[in-house]
Amino acid sequence: MRPDERELDEEIRGHLALSIKERVDRGEHPDEARRAALAEFGYVPAARESMRRVWYGRWFDAGAALALDLRVGLRSLRRAKGLSLAVMTTLALGIGANAAIFSVVRGVLLRPLVNRDEDRLLYIRQSAPTLGAGNMTFSVPEIADLKARVTAIGAFGDFSTIDFTMIGIGEPRVVHAGVVSGSFFQVMGLRAVLGRLLTPEDDGAAAAGAVVLTHRFWSSALASDRSVLGKTVRLGSRTATVVGVLEPSVPYPVDTEIIANVVTSPHHLDATMVTGRTHRMTELFGRLAPGASLTTARAELTAAHAAMRQEHPEASAGRTDVRLTVQPLRDQIVTPARTILLVLLLTAAVVFLVACSNVANLILARSVRREAELTVRAALGASRGALRRTLLAESLVLCGAGAGLGILLARPLVAVVARYASRFSMRATEVTVDASLLWMGAGLAIVASVLLAYIPTLPATDGAAGGTRLTPGGVRITPATNRRLRMFATAQVACSFVLLTGAGMLLAALVSLQTAPPGYHLREVLALDVPLPIESFGPKSLTFFDEAMRRVSALPGVTSVAASNVVPWRDLGKFGPFSFAVEGHTPVDGDEAPHGRLRNVTPGYFATLGVPLVAGRDFTDDDRRGSELVAIVSQGIAERLFPDGDAVNHHIWWTDPVLGDDRRRIVGVVADVNDEAISPGPGLNIYNPLRQVPFGGRLLVRAAGDPYALVPALTRVIREISAEQPVERAATLADVRAEMLTPDRLNALVVSGFAGLALLIAIVGVAGVLAFSVSARTREFGVRLAIGSTPGDLMARVLREGTGMVVVGVVAGTVGGYVLARLAQSFVGDLPLPGALPTVGAAALLVGAAVLAALIPAARASRVDVVQALRSE
Amino acid sequence: MTKPPDDRRLDLLQGTLDMLVLRTLQWGPQHGHGIGNSIRTQSDDLLRVETGSLYPALHRLEKRGWLKSKWAISEANQRAKYYELTAAGKAQLAREQDRWSQLVMAIGRIMLPATAGEE
Repeated sequence: MRPDERELDEEIRGHLALSIKERVDRGEHPDEARRAALAEFGYVPAARESMRRVWYGRWFDAGAALALDLRVGLRSLRRAKGLSLAVMTTLALGIGANAAIFSVVRGVLLRPLVNRDEDRLLYIRQSAPTLGAGNMTFSVPEIADLKARVTAIGAFGDFSTIDFTMIGIGEPRVVHAGVVSGSFFQVMGLRAVLGRLLTPEDDGAAAAGAVVLTHRFWSSALASDRSVLGKTVRLGSRTATVVGVLEPSVPYPVDTEIIANVVTSPHHLDATMVTGRTHRMTELFGRLAPGASLTTARAELTAAHAAMRQEHPEASAGRTDVRLTVQPLRDQIVTPARTILLVLLLTAAVVFLVACSNVANLILARSVRREAELTVRAALGASRGALRRTLLAESLVLCGAGAGLGILLARPLVAVVARYASRFSMRATEVTVDASLLWMGAGLAIVASVLLAYIPTLPATDGAAGGTRLTPGGVRITPATNRRLRMFATAQVACSFVLLTGAGMLLAALVSLQTAPPGYHLREVLALDVPLPIESFGPKSLTFFDEAMRRVSALPGVTSVAASNVVPWRDLGKFGPFSFAVEGHTPVDGDEAPHGRLRNVTPGYFATLGVPLVAGRDFTDDDRRGSELVAIVSQGIAERLFPDGDAVNHHIWWTDPVLGDDRRRIVGVVADVNDEAISPGPGLNIYNPLRQVPFGGRLLVRAAGDPYALVPALTRVIREISAEQPVERAATLADVRAEMLTPDRLNALVVSGFAGLALLIAIVGVAGVLAFSVSARTREFGVRLAIGSTPGDLMARVLREGTGMVVVGVVAGTVGGYVLARLAQSFVGDLPLPGALPTVGAAALLVGAAVLAALIPAARASRVDVVQALRSE
Repeated sequence: MTKPPDDRRLDLLQGTLDMLVLRTLQWGPQHGHGIGNSIRTQSDDLLRVETGSLYPALHRLEKRGWLKSKWAISEANQRAKYYELTAAGKAQLAREQDRWSQLVMAIGRIMLPATAGEE
C-alpha cells in the first residue's frame, strides 16, 4: 500500500512535465516554462517530506526528529573534537573491560556443562583439610562400600590417573592417562565425536585394551586425524586399540590425553589396588538416581562414609578429620575461579563508574558552556522534552561510538582474560567470544547515555528565570553545577583509591612472596622430569638413576647432580602428608598425630639444592638397600618433637598404612624449606634415602654456567642409557617458582592495571574540574588580585581545592578499600597483609598526583591579568 | 515562499481541500496536476492549490480508502498517477457536501441575519 520513494519522484516528475507542457502550449519558451513550473511547485524535498509524513504518521515525526537530533548532535560534537575523543576513549575503556570480563564470567560461571543433565552430576571428594590433604581420593574397597550403602546415587563413575609410556601415536613419551571403569562415560553423560566410548563390556581383566582420546589431544597433537581410529598403541607393557574420540568437555579433576580401560594398567588389576583400603588414587563421580535430590544424596553418602570409617578405623590412622564433600560437578569446577572472577567483575564495574563519572563531568562542563545555546532554544519554543532529546541524541552518539570501540577492544581482551582465568578453572579454556559481548556493550552504552543526558540541568522554560545567562563574556558556574562537578570528581577519586589500595595489597603480598627466602639455590639448579614407567619402579630404577647420575655428573658445566621424587613447587601433593611417629614422643590424647611429607633423595641432594645441614650427616652411598634404615628430618620436625635438640639417633617411622612402619634412625637435620607452597610456613619434610625407598623420577642438576645450555647434553646422555626414555620439563628452580607465583603476579598485574587506569582517569578528572573552575572564575581572581591577594595566594587556593577533593575522596574510599582488602585476603590465603602500607601508599599517590594535576590550573589562576579580568564582562 | 502578486487570490479554508479534491474527481479519474488546474479554473482563478498541500492530501485520501490510483500516460507523454473516487470516497463526498451546506447556512445566518430571516 505504501508507495515507494521512486514512485513518489515519478509522480512529481509527471506533475512538472504537465505543468511545463501547459506553459509551452501557451507559448512560453521551454526554459522559461521549466523554471516557472519548478518555482510554482515549490521546494521539492519539502513536498517529498510532507508526503512521507502522510505514509508513516507519528513514527515519521519521531524518527525524523531523532534523525535530526542525531545529525545536530553529530555536528555539534564535531565542533568539540577534544571532548568527544576524551569521552569516547574513556567509555571505550570502561565498556570494553566490562564486556570482556562479563563474557568470561558468563562462560565460566553461568553456562551449563556439555554433560547430559549436568545438574544431576555430582563430584564426591574425601579430604582432610587440617592436614593439608585437600583431596585424598578414594580406594577401590572404599568405593565399593559407598556403592553398597547409597541408593540416592543411581550410578558411580570412577577415574584414576596413571602415567604410561605411550608408543604408537607420535613421539614415544610419557602420557598422562585416565583409567576408568565402563560406567564412567555413562555417568558423566558424555558422547563420542568419533568411534565409541568405553562401556561395561570393556571392564575386567579379560577385556581387550581400549583407549579413548580426549578431544584436545586429538585435535591438537593429532591434527584431528580420523584414521587414528582402530590403531594399536603400546601403553607400557600392554597394548590397546584406539576406539574413539571424546567430545570437547571440561577435563576434571585432571587433564589427560587419553582415557583407557582398566585392563591396560596392570597396576589397576593387582591386589594392592583392588583390596588395599588405603591405596587411594581414584576420583569418584555420581549421577543422582531418578527422584533423588542433592540433599538426600549428601545425607546418604555422609552416613555411609561415617559408617565405613567406623568399620575400618585402621584405614584412616591418625587422621581425625577426614570428611566427605558432595558437590554438583559444575560448582566443583568453577568454585576456584568464582572469587577471582567476581573480584575482577567488581573491579571492572568500579572502573566503569570512574569512567562514567569522568564523562559526566566532561558533559557537565560542556553543558555549562552551552547554557546560552540551550536558553536560546528554550526561548524559541523548544520544550524540555525536546531539549532533553537533543542531549540524549548527543550522548547516544558518544556512547554508541564508545561502545563500538569498546567492543573492538573487548574481543582480544576476552582471550587474555580467559587465559588468565584458566589458571583458576579449566572451564575458562573453552570461553569464546559470543553475542553476549555485543549485548553487554550495547546495554552499558544505553545506561551510560541515559545517565549522561540527565546530568545537565535544563534552563527553565517557563521564562521565570529566563533571559539570565544570555550575557556574553564567558561562563558562570552555578553553585549547584559546581557541587555536581566536585561530587563526580570526588567519586572518581574514591573509586580509584579503592582500586589502588586493592592493587597495593596484592602487590605487597606478591612482594612478600617473592622476597620470602626460598631455601634453595634457585638460578643454578635445573630440574628435569625423567619419569620411569611404573613397572620399572624399584631396584631396576636405581640402576638406571645411578647410571644416569654418573653420566650427567661427568658432563662439563655440571657441578653436582641429585635425584629425588619431587621437583619443589611443581609436584604438589604427591607424597604426603603422611602420619608418622618418633620414639620418645607420645602424642597427648586427642592431639593430631604429626604429619610429614616423604622426600626420597640421593646423597648430595642437600648440597646440590643448597639446603644447609643443621646437625648430623647427609646420606651416603652406603645408605642402601640392606643396610641400616635411616632418615633425615627438617628442622621444624626436630624442634617440635625433640625440644631438647637431640633428634639425631632417635628413631622415626611412618604410621600411615601406605608406607609400612619400618623404623629409621635419624642421622641428620636440615634447614626448613617449604617445597609445596611459597609462604613463610615451614614444610615438614622427612627425607628417606632413594636407595632404600626407590621411588624417584626427578633429576636436579646444579650448573656452573647457564643451566638451560645443559639440556641437550643431558637429554643425550640419558637417552644413551635408554633410547625411549622421556626427559621432560627442564626448568630452573627460579622459573618453577616464578610459575608457581604466576597467579599472584597476574592478580596483582590485572588489578594494578585497572587501578592505574582509574587513577589516570580520576586525576584527569580532578585537573579538568579545577581547570574549568579557574577559567570560569577569571573575574573573581581579578578582583582578588586587585584587592591585594598575591598570585601565590591564588595558586595555593586552587591547590587547596584540588587536595580537598582528593582528601574527601580518599576518606570516602577508605570504607570501600577495607571491603576490598577482605576480598583480596581470600585469594592470597592466610598471608599476613601489610594493611597500613598500601593504604597510606595509595592515598599518598593520589594526593601527590592530584597536586601535580592541580598545578597547571593553579598556575593559570596565578597568571590572571587584573585589568583583562575586570574588563572581561 | 513567494506569494503570487494576484491579491484576489483566496486562501483555502482549513479542511476544505479534501472536499474539493473529492468533488473534482466526481467527473472521472484525474492526475494531480489536472486536479489543481481544475480547482483553479472552476473557482475562476480565485483558489490556487499549492502542490505542497495537494499531493499530501491525495496520499492521505488514498490511505483512507476514499481514492484509488493507477499509472497511465498523461498528455505530456509521461507516466502520471491518476486518482479515482472509490465507493467510500463517493459516500464521503456526499457527507462533506451536507456538512458544507450546513456550515454555509449557519455562517450565513450569523453574517447576514436579515436575508436569512426573509427566506
